[in-house]
Amino acid sequence: MSLIRVENLAKEYVNGEVVTPVLRGVSFTVEPGEFVAIMGPSGSGKSTLMHILSFLDRPSTGRYEFEGLDTSEFSDEYLAGLRNERVGFVFQSFNLLARTSVLDNVKLPLLYSRVKKSETLAKEALAAVGLSHRLDYFTNQISGGEKQRVAIARALVNNPAVLFADEPTGNLDSKSGNTVMQILQNLNDQGRTIILVTHEQETARHARRILRVKDGAILADERVLDRVLAFSDKELVK
Amino acid sequence: MFAVLKQSLRALSANKARTTLTTLGIVIGIATVILVLSAGAGFRSLIDAQVAAFGSNTLFIETRVPATTKQRAASGDNAYNQGALGVVINTLKDRDLQEIKKIPNVVNDYAMVTGQAVASYRDNQKNALFYGSTAERFEIDKHTLKAGRFYTAAEDVGAAQVAVLGSSLAKNLFNQDDPLGKLIRYGTLNFQVIGVYKPQGDITGVANDAVYIPMNTAQHKMLGIDHFSFVIVQVADIKRADETANQIKLLLRSNHDILSPEKDDFIVQTQAEALATFNTIFGGITILLIAIAAISLIVGGVGIMNIMYVVVTERTAEIGLKKAIGATNKDILREFLTEAVLVTVLGGILGIMLGALLGYVVSIIATAAGLEWAFVVPFNAIALAVAVSATIGIGFGVLPARSAARLDPIEALRYE
Repeated sequence: MSLIRVENLAKEYVNGEVVTPVLRGVSFTVEPGEFVAIMGPSGSGKSTLMHILSFLDRPSTGRYEFEGLDTSEFSDEYLAGLRNERVGFVFQSFNLLARTSVLDNVKLPLLYSRVKKSETLAKEALAAVGLSHRLDYFTNQISGGEKQRVAIARALVNNPAVLFADEPTGNLDSKSGNTVMQILQNLNDQGRTIILVTHEQETARHARRILRVKDGAILADERVLDRVLAFSDKELVK
Repeated sequence: MFAVLKQSLRALSANKARTTLTTLGIVIGIATVILVLSAGAGFRSLIDAQVAAFGSNTLFIETRVPATTKQRAASGDNAYNQGALGVVINTLKDRDLQEIKKIPNVVNDYAMVTGQAVASYRDNQKNALFYGSTAERFEIDKHTLKAGRFYTAAEDVGAAQVAVLGSSLAKNLFNQDDPLGKLIRYGTLNFQVIGVYKPQGDITGVANDAVYIPMNTAQHKMLGIDHFSFVIVQVADIKRADETANQIKLLLRSNHDILSPEKDDFIVQTQAEALATFNTIFGGITILLIAIAAISLIVGGVGIMNIMYVVVTERTAEIGLKKAIGATNKDILREFLTEAVLVTVLGGILGIMLGALLGYVVSIIATAAGLEWAFVVPFNAIALAVAVSATIGIGFGVLPARSAARLDPIEALRYE
């Protein structure tokens, strides 16, 4: 069973009389354990595609099956539950809560799933990204690279089936960006499914497979032959 | 729930100045409500003390000038203009007093006259009111003495020159000296001080400055009259007070040769009537003041709504993130409502403290003025204040919270 199966997925925005198609019939599957980069220039529809795949948006037409189930019948509340428990998000601008400790940020998703042992789970997730020494720091006291690693820990804390990373290195210097990419590659090596959205060829080459999107359609679906491996920095990542 | 509370507290403490200013409207409104109810309870305790002192089971008979048609047109039906018109009603006499005593429900009664003269002891002088009354006064009036004794019926019959002093007057005339047994000059006569009252709560403020002397002494030696100004009647069963009042009216009309109630030269008032009048006025004033406080609460609520809308805009990105990681609309609604209710309840608690403090200050001032004023913050006033402030939080917080809950997560995430 595929983790994700989309068939003829289309999305259009209607503004009065003007209909703007954003996705025009996209089909592909993602198997568990894959590392897929969705790549394309801005306006290509890659973000809309990611929003639909991650249950933030619904398609206009077409079919989206997640873990073998048709998502069109899910209620908004059920979709919120899926976002909470089955997927994780990493954003370009980190989106951490200000004036809040690193630990509390990572505990946030567990607040909405009403998990009891949130403290332990959050500490484990932070250990996995090498931030056990920053638990009580406030998010304005840590570096950009560390912020993104907190965001990754937050995405992992509910042990999701798939991790969505939307331009995760876009706001980082190359060294921090490398660390983040290396964490993602490590997670994938351990079996985590990762879907990366980016407009950069260089970043996309960290994945194992690239879906090239342009004008709302998939131009190419290719294996990455010359895969970039982020350099190993044992100081930062276990 | 605890985690939600913690989040709200963090959000509020992040902007302390704004939170404080936002609560101000609620603080003032709630403080006003508490002050009104607290001072109201204090005032009521004062009235209760007065009623208890006179005995709640008493009737007052007061002389009154019967209004002629002309007077009624000119000045209304006013019992208190007799002095101004130079008319003195001199029909209320000892015969009335004795016959009232024989009415079945009547336990006891006493008569009273009043006047004014200068009291002096050595170098100290004070203009003081006197109450001349028959000795039965002390069986009905429950105010007790600090020192000495009351005058007796025998002293009254003999028109003895003995006096019981109000507490302030005793202090003014004698300072630290013991007044008992001393002679004071009062008007043109010498009186021996035989007793001093304890301080008594009195809205008119004159009771503590007065001289209390036997009826006959007052009538014959001070005033040169043989009638009374007031008669105070104690009844056995207050529930039958109206019936007794009617019997007294009939008796007085027959004694005074009055043919129609319009020509009455007296009025009979029951404590219950006086209390009912008081309660009506007092209730009206309370409602008026609370209505004014309610306006402040509404203004405070609108302020909170305004700030909550600002907060929603400020935290758009945060709301987007929370929705992305699985918060439902209900979760977001609950978070913002919690925050709004927290602000208002906080304001409510501050308001209760401020209102109680002001009520305490009022009680201190009232006590200093010699009134028997109890400081009370009624428990139901506190419960009301908390309930009202929480309701305002929900009422005025629900619209901003709903607009937060309905934000589109994709739009919200993009918001910078």
